[in-house]
Amino acid sequence: MSTFLQILLRSLETGGVYALAALAIIIVLRTSMVAHFAQGTMAMFSTYVVALLCSKRGFPLWQSLLIGVAVAVAMAFAVDFFIIRRAKRASAVSKEIITLGLIMVFLGLAPVVFGVDPQLMPKAIPHGGDFQFLGASISHNAFLNICIGLFFMGLLFFILQKTKLGLAVRVTASNEPIARLMGVSTRNITLLAWITAGILGLLSGVMIAPATTVTTTLMNPVQLNALFACVLGGFQTFYGPVLGAYIIGIGRNLLTYYVSSEWGEQLLYVLLLIFLLLRPNGLIGRKFIKKV
Amino acid sequence: MDLTQAAGNPVYRFYKNPNVRFMFFGALLCLVPYLKDIGVFNAGMLITIGGAIIYSVAALGLNLLLGFAGLISLGVAGFVGLGAYATAYFTKDLGLAFWVAALGAIALATLIGLLVGLVSLRVSGLYLAIATLCVSEILLKTFESFDSITGGMTGKRAAYPTILGTTLTREGTYIMLVIVLVLLMMLTRNLVKGSFGRALHAMRGSEVAAQAMGVNLLKYRLLAFALSTAYAALAGALYVTFIRSSYPTTWTITLSLNILAVVVIGGFRSIYGTILGSFVAFIVPDLILKKLPVIGDVPGLAYIFNGVMIIIVIMFYPAGLIKLFSDARGLALRLVSGKARKAVN
Repeated sequence: MSTFLQILLRSLETGGVYALAALAIIIVLRTSMVAHFAQGTMAMFSTYVVALLCSKRGFPLWQSLLIGVAVAVAMAFAVDFFIIRRAKRASAVSKEIITLGLIMVFLGLAPVVFGVDPQLMPKAIPHGGDFQFLGASISHNAFLNICIGLFFMGLLFFILQKTKLGLAVRVTASNEPIARLMGVSTRNITLLAWITAGILGLLSGVMIAPATTVTTTLMNPVQLNALFACVLGGFQTFYGPVLGAYIIGIGRNLLTYYVSSEWGEQLLYVLLLIFLLLRPNGLIGRKFIKKV
Repeated sequence: MDLTQAAGNPVYRFYKNPNVRFMFFGALLCLVPYLKDIGVFNAGMLITIGGAIIYSVAALGLNLLLGFAGLISLGVAGFVGLGAYATAYFTKDLGLAFWVAALGAIALATLIGLLVGLVSLRVSGLYLAIATLCVSEILLKTFESFDSITGGMTGKRAAYPTILGTTLTREGTYIMLVIVLVLLMMLTRNLVKGSFGRALHAMRGSEVAAQAMGVNLLKYRLLAFALSTAYAALAGALYVTFIRSSYPTTWTITLSLNILAVVVIGGFRSIYGTILGSFVAFIVPDLILKKLPVIGDVPGLAYIFNGVMIIIVIMFYPAGLIKLFSDARGLALRLVSGKARKAVN
């Protein structure tokens, strides 16, 4: 039982990271109508900045984080302002191709800017111990990550549901041309969505980085699982992907522990494909009916 | 020249026949080994051009899917890898002939492709992109951990193909690549000029109108995706027999994106464009960019080049670089006629 609880607690941490990344993808997808495949790569880029400032230049974590946020915001702004906004009339496939091109650009730039050596990301609590909880233990850092993830998700959903800004985002997501007619500045909303996605990506990167080294492939698994979380939860709601992310986080750890450490992940992906066959619109998906 | 007369002229008709033109193009590509022999190219260049031809095959398949059906697949590399490993396993471990092995690999990949398509093509185009990404990841993990067949991280070896009892040399294998490419160009052209191509065109124009005309969307999407996986697996078979080894690190998303870049840069729905794109995406960074001062040493240069090219082409020149030729011809004609008009005046 305590092993199970242990796995569950650890899954909450990875699930939270996937959930932040999935939220970033879904927010951009719903407001800007772009499948943001480069989300993980751009997050890798800004995470690299934080890691480099921390470990090489000796900045404290909070200062590097602030600079990292500034870089993430600048990147998101540049991408939306110079590329996505100008490709507004392009088809959905063209926009997907643009984000795929962005992956290549940022992946190619990373070794040029940061060098080829892997970097280390310091932990938020350098010499943290463990909490004991019903026989399972969880490190202070993991606990902090879970809390930070939940806090930002709560904040985002509060803004989405309770404020005027959130209403503008939801209106844009449900019907962009009508939202514009109603006086919503959809341009700014879209820009804001890209910036939010950039910051969420940075957060997920900084949370996952201490567990491994910071390399150009750091965010690949996160990006992959976040995309699958969106499929699992459905693209129609903002909370569906979050739910999907936690399910994937838990399912992955359970399968790799109880079934096979080598084949567990493949099994999860196969299960996801089977799920897609049974419920093509996701857990919380409505069927999208196109009018002629 | 009087065009009506020219159209009846058998020589002109022969020259205008697209299949004959494909063969001329192939003959031109076959010159490369001889150019190498007289010292224009080095041996590495032959492998680079051979690689570009192999990736053209996969890109032709992706162009059927992306250009005609408007669907993105991010699993091309996975299927190329599957073709490569299956061919290597069939020839090395089971001792089958190369062409039997290649056919087996193609059948295997197409079967998997059909299953994936069946799962993901019922909803929207985005699902295929994510599902193929998923399959690509499963395949890559399998290549890494299925040691007994794929050799794991140490890689899998293969040999040059033996055809009709003679084992080909590197140059011979290169010629075989060119022949396969030319055959596939002909096949692709016939496919897209027939009812299959018309159905895809109709779907791209309007799904609803196509359905009203009796086009079964799922059937044609599945067919397009299955064809593109078959092309990818064939490219894998050619790769493993030309390069003679296969490592899991080759078959990552990086390669899928590069092949996507080929289609976008060259031009959607253009057969020559796909090959042009392949040469731009795989040879230009190797041949030209690496020799430039200052930026030549940048490690991810080829990648940045292809990424920037994708974005620029999609945003400003969506028909792809192949349109440069017709644009240039139009410009030249305009200049010439302008001059002629001035002369008359």
